[in-house]
Amino acid sequence: MPDFTPFLVSGLATAATYVLSAVGIVVLYRASGVVNFSQGALGALAAFVSWSIVEHGGPEPVAWCAGVFVSTALAFLYGRALAPRLAFSDPVMRAVATLSVALILLGFMGYVWGELPRRLRLPTDTMSFELIGVRVTATRAVAFALAVLATVAVMVFLARSRLGLQMRALANNRDLSALLGVRVLRADGYAWVISGGLAGVSGILLADLQRLSGQTLTFAVIPAISAAVIGRFSSLPATVAGGVAIGACEALLTPVPVVGPFRTAVPFVFAVAALLWMQRRFSFVYR
Amino acid sequence: MTDQTLAYSPLLDTNRVRLKWVAAALVALGTVYLLPDVLSNYWLRTFISSTALAIGSLSVSLLFAQLGMVSLAQFALLGVGGWFALRISHGFGVPFEVALLTGGIAAAAFGLIVGLPALRMRGLYLAIITLMMAGAIQVLISAFGFPDGGTGMLGKSTGARIMMARPYLAQTDEAYFRYAMVVLAMCYGVVFVHMRGRPGRAWAMIRRSEVCALSGGVHIVAYKVWAFTLSGFLAGIAGGLLAGGVGQLDGSAFPASQSIMLFALTIVGGAFSWIGPIIAGLMLRAFPALLNDFHVDGNIATIVFGAGLLHALMTAPRGIAGQIQDAAGAFRKRFVR
Repeated sequence: MPDFTPFLVSGLATAATYVLSAVGIVVLYRASGVVNFSQGALGALAAFVSWSIVEHGGPEPVAWCAGVFVSTALAFLYGRALAPRLAFSDPVMRAVATLSVALILLGFMGYVWGELPRRLRLPTDTMSFELIGVRVTATRAVAFALAVLATVAVMVFLARSRLGLQMRALANNRDLSALLGVRVLRADGYAWVISGGLAGVSGILLADLQRLSGQTLTFAVIPAISAAVIGRFSSLPATVAGGVAIGACEALLTPVPVVGPFRTAVPFVFAVAALLWMQRRFSFVYR
Repeated sequence: MTDQTLAYSPLLDTNRVRLKWVAAALVALGTVYLLPDVLSNYWLRTFISSTALAIGSLSVSLLFAQLGMVSLAQFALLGVGGWFALRISHGFGVPFEVALLTGGIAAAAFGLIVGLPALRMRGLYLAIITLMMAGAIQVLISAFGFPDGGTGMLGKSTGARIMMARPYLAQTDEAYFRYAMVVLAMCYGVVFVHMRGRPGRAWAMIRRSEVCALSGGVHIVAYKVWAFTLSGFLAGIAGGLLAGGVGQLDGSAFPASQSIMLFALTIVGGAFSWIGPIIAGLMLRAFPALLNDFHVDGNIATIVFGAGLLHALMTAPRGIAGQIQDAAGAFRKRFVR
């Protein structure tokens, strides 16, 4: 029986990055009805930008801020300039359009940075403390804390602020909210900003915890989307629980002999199980 | 006067249709006979892959154009089909055609089992589940690798890799290209038979309105499942054809991003027209090869495809094929009476 505790610790940190990304996806979907498949690619871009600035001798805090800023700005630009043109098409088509953003970013990152094995180093990697007999690096603790902080902040924001109220109204009924004077594009824009910022933070952390690769980080969106499916794209607590469960399961399966190599199929299993659970009563969704 | 034009118009119409089909058949025959001889070795292989991927794209467009279903796992299913085709071919030494069919059936079954929970839900969930499926299959394939003539369940050889046996009729690259084009034509035939028959009518009704279809007595789930199975079968055939063309498959060549690319290019090529999948197949393999000829980074192709998808979604929902048809229509209006 292998010792699972170190795997649990690293799993919870990875889970935290999934949660950050998934919270962004859920907030965006609730406000604007777009499932953002490019969440991972935005995070990857943020990580690459930070890495480049550090490589060229820039100060690290500036590099992180620049990375998050780039992903936020890009998300905002897409949300403001391109997404409204698809506002009246199918939800599927709006989701597929974000895939094209992912493809463009994937090609861009492959062109500029290539697929060399890299890792983004954060200064918190060298700091660590003991917790129940396991050494925990500060990066992992920071990731976990940021995920908790972001989730709580977003929940409070949605529940208390005026903009949050407008976003919830939009989630309920877009046409009625527009009629009542909610500035749809403005609320949408803020949702894209929140989601892009969370994507950037999540991407930078994941580039440190795993590795800095365009493909890997872009498809880190899969566990995040899976967590959002568990939360039915509406419930933040369920999304967080889903993200934590997926990250923890992935990590805990690492030392298990037979299933170990297949641990990255965990998000898929979770999402299918969630879908089956959701449709346990037979019901058609009419369009 | 009006009666006369009414009487004449069908005659004129059939005439034109006949001419069009004769021209199409001539072009097709010309392509089958002449194209393999004029191509260099490298381009011949590229076109073989393009033909196989045109079948893959046909499987995407079948789902998308007939039912509006978005499947992002078709390229992964191609890998599944290729895996089973290679396994059967190496394991039992069966003829190529049997291996091809086995690959198709295996991919259909695989796609069906995994897609079933999502098929009863709205399109968005199907897209999400199939994207995850593509990720999961990528993991499976990179863990197992493709069979290459070894023993055991996985058929991994430790020594030299053995090439997949090609069909008896098509041992050379030229012959195999012709063979692949014939398979492509047969796949088109299968799809057209479906579209003209009962399933096509049911799909059209479901696409228009599920409520309508239900009250019309159409078994919605059964017909959706049938479309999904058929499309998985086509993807499997494409995978087997790809495996036969190269002789082996590379475990790292089936990432989830390829599935997304296949879907994107099917939209860009034009999912609603028969020529769209062929354009998509050419873009997926011949366009990067062309860039390679000019020493341009292959990542540029990815950027172009992404931008193309965005453009197609916003302004040209019928893709390049639709634009070609519009241009041809405008041309005919102007110059042909």
